[in-house]
Amino acid sequence: MSTPGPDRVPSTVKVDKTSGQGKPPAAKSTGAKPGGRPTGKGPQGKGKGRKPVTPIKVSGSRNWGPIAVAGVVVLIAVGIIGYGVFASIKGSESWEDKAAGIEGIVNYRAQNNPAINSQEHKEGPQTYATNPPVGGAHNPVWQNCMGDVYAQPIANEHAVHSLEHGAVWVTYKQGLAADQVAKLQEKVQGRDYMFMSPIANLDKNISLQAWGYQLKLDNADDKRIDEFIQALRLKATLEPNAACSSGNTTTGPIAAAAPAGN
Amino acid sequence: MSVSTESSAPADAGTPSDDTTPTGRRRFGAVWLAAVLVFGLLVGLAIGLLGPRLATPGDDSVEAGFLRDMSTHHAQAVEMSMIAHANSTTPGVITLSADIALTQHGQIGYMQAWLSEWHLSPTGTAAPMAWMKDSSGSVQNGLMPGMATPAQMAELRKVTGKALDVQFLTLMRQHHLGGIHMAQEILQESDNDDVTWLAESQVRGQQGEINLIDSMLKQLQTS
Repeated sequence: MSTPGPDRVPSTVKVDKTSGQGKPPAAKSTGAKPGGRPTGKGPQGKGKGRKPVTPIKVSGSRNWGPIAVAGVVVLIAVGIIGYGVFASIKGSESWEDKAAGIEGIVNYRAQNNPAINSQEHKEGPQTYATNPPVGGAHNPVWQNCMGDVYAQPIANEHAVHSLEHGAVWVTYKQGLAADQVAKLQEKVQGRDYMFMSPIANLDKNISLQAWGYQLKLDNADDKRIDEFIQALRLKATLEPNAACSSGNTTTGPIAAAAPAGN
Repeated sequence: MSVSTESSAPADAGTPSDDTTPTGRRRFGAVWLAAVLVFGLLVGLAIGLLGPRLATPGDDSVEAGFLRDMSTHHAQAVEMSMIAHANSTTPGVITLSADIALTQHGQIGYMQAWLSEWHLSPTGTAAPMAWMKDSSGSVQNGLMPGMATPAQMAELRKVTGKALDVQFLTLMRQHHLGGIHMAQEILQESDNDDVTWLAESQVRGQQGEINLIDSMLKQLQTS
């Protein structure tokens, strides 16, 4: 095996070597082996001997040709398919991932705070862990969130219930410039599962809320406002297809708002 | 490759010049077989993964635009109907408002489920009605055709008795006309079976309700 092994490797690669060096040993030791073939042809004449050998070379190139072609085809296919799969996976990115991609967003769901996670319906004033609140026990009445633009602060106890129904609540600092308020209003009015109101003691100009999520910003032109709405409106609901209509439409704290439900 | 050379070469030793071609063909065949198999598997995988996605309407399709906008449009019909249902004392109005509220709220569920099934957000990036041809100007203050203004909604909440019935029926008539307009447009634009099935039912159902509303308004005006 030691002789045919090294013999054969050069024989398929280079013709000259086998015809030159292989004559005597190949005839004896490698009768049936490929090494024998070139030697058998060799004595017949160099011109003829090369011709039958050349097809071996050709067969070698035939081997690599298809491999290269197939390799390229497969590579291209993998590339196209890979891109398609990537695009489709990215396109179907979950709303949670989309939300997580928004710079500055706070995910309160991840904190597993029982006070924020509570969905209990309780009458009367409630205290909330954040301002504005993003979740927690709330009144049975919800705030109407049919694109309602409230000019005065509304009851947290109602607004939180609207968040539970899947609405995005746009809040802004009382006294925010009118043009900024108008820009926010454009994003809210006429759009269900959206509502907006000023709120007291806000530490930033604008704060957006969905259930368990909050994003505070300085400017109504910030493109993250649309990103937040697009990712979380309806998607953040805890009660799919719960309504935004039939809610309370009055403003002010619940002491004043409670009797006025629709 | 060395393995195939070893095994095939001895067998072909007898025929010196011709044997190389079959050997080559065999290698050639094996490579192609492997390549075709791999390629076929990848194509199959891709079709499996992408097919359903490509077969359903995309984020900027007319279907997605219609479902999103009609959901919002329907939601206001539900809102108006629930107000009338809660506050009216006229049996005909109480029944009609319940019918509209329940039907349209149910249809919102269909529309939202389709968007979800298509892996699309219920919220689009385009403006309302952007999917509709010649829609510029049809949206005012964010309100689509037929939708009541905040002032009209506030008024509807306030009124009672016959004024409530008349206001509700008048607003709903207008609302239905806008809804039918949108549904007719999607019937021209889309061949999605689910969407056209729902849109056809909306055109039919709301046209029927407009006839009913007209007769009820006539009755109210003479009473």
